[in-house]
Amino acid sequence: MKRNFLLMKTLLLSTSQRNIYRYSKDSKKRKKIMFGYVGVFCLYAMLIGYSAAICVGYGTYGMIESAPVLCALTISALSFVFTFFKTNGYLFNFKEYDMLMALPFEARTVAACKFAYMYVKSLPWYLCIALAMMAGYGYYARPSAAVYPLWILLSAFLPVIPMLGAAFLGFLIARISAGFRKTKIVQTVLTFAFIIFCFSLRYIIEDLFRNDKVQATLETTAEMTGGAAKIYLPAGWFCDAVTKFSLSGILLLVGVSLLLFAVLFYLVGKSYRQINSAMKSHTAAKNYKMTGLKQRSVVFSVAFKEWKRLTGSTTYLTNGAMGELLAVLLGVVTLLIGFDRIVSVVTQGAPIDPTILRPAIPLITYFLLGMVATTACSPSLEGKNYWIIQSLPIEKKTVYQGKMLFNLMLTVPFMIFTNLCLCISAKAPVLDTVLYLILGLALCAFSTAWGCVCGIRHMRLDWENEIEVIKQGAAVAVYMLPNMFVVMGLIVLVVFLGTRMDQKVVTLSLTLIAAVLALLSYRRVMILSRRS
Amino acid sequence: MNDRMMLEIRHFSKSYGGGKKAADDVTIQVACGDIYGFIGHNGAGKSTTIRAVVGVLDFTDGEIYIDGHSVRDEPMACKRVTAYIPDNPDLYENLTGIQYLNFVADVFGISPGEREERIRKYAGLFEITDALGDLIGSYSHGMKQKVAIISALIHNPKLLVLDEPFVGLDPKASFTLKEIMREMCGQGTAVFFSTHVLDVAEKLCNRVAIIKQGRIVAAGTMEELTEGHSLEETFLEADRDET
Repeated sequence: MKRNFLLMKTLLLSTSQRNIYRYSKDSKKRKKIMFGYVGVFCLYAMLIGYSAAICVGYGTYGMIESAPVLCALTISALSFVFTFFKTNGYLFNFKEYDMLMALPFEARTVAACKFAYMYVKSLPWYLCIALAMMAGYGYYARPSAAVYPLWILLSAFLPVIPMLGAAFLGFLIARISAGFRKTKIVQTVLTFAFIIFCFSLRYIIEDLFRNDKVQATLETTAEMTGGAAKIYLPAGWFCDAVTKFSLSGILLLVGVSLLLFAVLFYLVGKSYRQINSAMKSHTAAKNYKMTGLKQRSVVFSVAFKEWKRLTGSTTYLTNGAMGELLAVLLGVVTLLIGFDRIVSVVTQGAPIDPTILRPAIPLITYFLLGMVATTACSPSLEGKNYWIIQSLPIEKKTVYQGKMLFNLMLTVPFMIFTNLCLCISAKAPVLDTVLYLILGLALCAFSTAWGCVCGIRHMRLDWENEIEVIKQGAAVAVYMLPNMFVVMGLIVLVVFLGTRMDQKVVTLSLTLIAAVLALLSYRRVMILSRRS
Repeated sequence: MNDRMMLEIRHFSKSYGGGKKAADDVTIQVACGDIYGFIGHNGAGKSTTIRAVVGVLDFTDGEIYIDGHSVRDEPMACKRVTAYIPDNPDLYENLTGIQYLNFVADVFGISPGEREERIRKYAGLFEITDALGDLIGSYSHGMKQKVAIISALIHNPKLLVLDEPFVGLDPKASFTLKEIMREMCGQGTAVFFSTHVLDVAEKLCNRVAIIKQGRIVAAGTMEELTEGHSLEETFLEADRDET
């Protein structure tokens, strides 16, 4: 046990910005860390504000009794999703694997500590949600004082079961993939397959709620939340524990969390070395014949390198190509089900004419494709290989042009496919379809260039695990969050404006704005590449 | 030197994903007090064998014993007496040198007095004492290698396994490392290391194995193997014969 804590402490210390701040002599680096802290606290504040606002809504409409279940479900869902995407990078195939495994640690200790590390690092985010919701619940429900310490204590256990579930799935995928020659490809395919399955499962469950007898009892949102707690038992345990002081609720939540933790890492430990050996090895065919080598331009060569980087890492691929996968799914589902029906499902049968939603088509597509721009994380992903670019006789702007070209090559075909599917399904006129495609192009260009600006400005090369820059990097956060919120706002705006003026004018105006922003961002990239 | 075996690799084989075998029926015995050189081309299977020895790489064919314990069945017993220095040490870059050394000392349960004495001794020998308070991320490759070496020596291992240990070290540090290896052998520690530098192997090792395309093509004492020739000539001849 002492060794577990020692490893855990070292893992936390080794990625602690405080440690770098304390010992680094580079004042620029220290300043950057301080700004990083401020940024993180701003995000904490945003999350607290958002969670509190939900509680205010619940309290205002007299549904505050659902807050504990909602808190449990929100934390559980978020922790499951984020852990699933991070498991591969944290538990398996990490950089210091050789160093740790050569030390006298059991394989299951290393795996369990890596999981615990992931848990501790994400706990503040979940506690922000829990504390904000607890405050909202306390204000509206006026519970006894004993609720508060219990709520705080059990909130720390809420993410454990979903995180273990996600880690187990990640482990299963890794275990299956380890048996194949092309481990990484199999792992990526299985991960994507699981994500698609999750999306279908969501619709199956929603369908179940809509069609069977349960519907009668789910008249209100509050009852729906209660229904969800019956399916996901830990949410019910949490609710019982904090509202009824149920001892069984407390014991079940804590006991099952600890038991599952012990069982999972007993299982993982058994094949941990085998999985990592498979992931760290590369098949050597040794039968290469040199034939017809082609010469590419430098920009294309950089773009090709980016392609190999993306496909060479399951973590990068599952995060970087997620938007593309969702866009294809949306396109295919819309073609099969029909634009009108999808609109009817989303608006829950409200009497809305689907044609007024047409101007939003390119923005809906962009919402998915623009979610991640490879240009936001690829400068940081150079990491220790940065010297290659620095030492080669190429200008930085050429490197960034290559990175931007790659992002365009990745997003534009998917944008065309999805927009066409949506336009065909929505029976949009040809001219409108062409305008939507042009707007889609402008948006892809903007996303690419703006992502690159964020990527260069917040470049971080000294990462320990690529997840730190792919999923948690400042560049990705600065790119993604404003982009997502602005697009959501724009979707509402174009629909509104489309009802007041010609839809084509709205689309053209937006295209112009997106193109100007793309140009400005591209210019910024060029300026930054001269400076950096 | 004595006859007690510290490392026994018996018929070890490893292939990656059904491809060509990286190690094929490798059998090596390293006794206490041996300095055993493991030489071969790039990609010959040296690192694969070494990673399996130190318990990092999973394997199914063959057996590896350290101090009588099976690497597969009793990994902890093996790791407690072994120290490993990889060719390109991936240390925690955001820890200071001393924080990292303390971590390794804690893992092996070394008392504060002992760890201080050993860190002082080896950091002094490698002239890195002043830099121990800096972040490892700010170190050069050679400095990282020195920290990795100190961390390997901190628990006084019975078996020292090194993968290309001289790469990146300055001439003085290389000399110091060779002296340390000799000193440890004198105390009964077994040293097993891979290298491309045949001169070093010739001067330092009492036993050598040559590996080619995953197979051991020659092994034995330096005298048996070279028969009056240089190790370089012997290596090239073994290489030609196999071709």
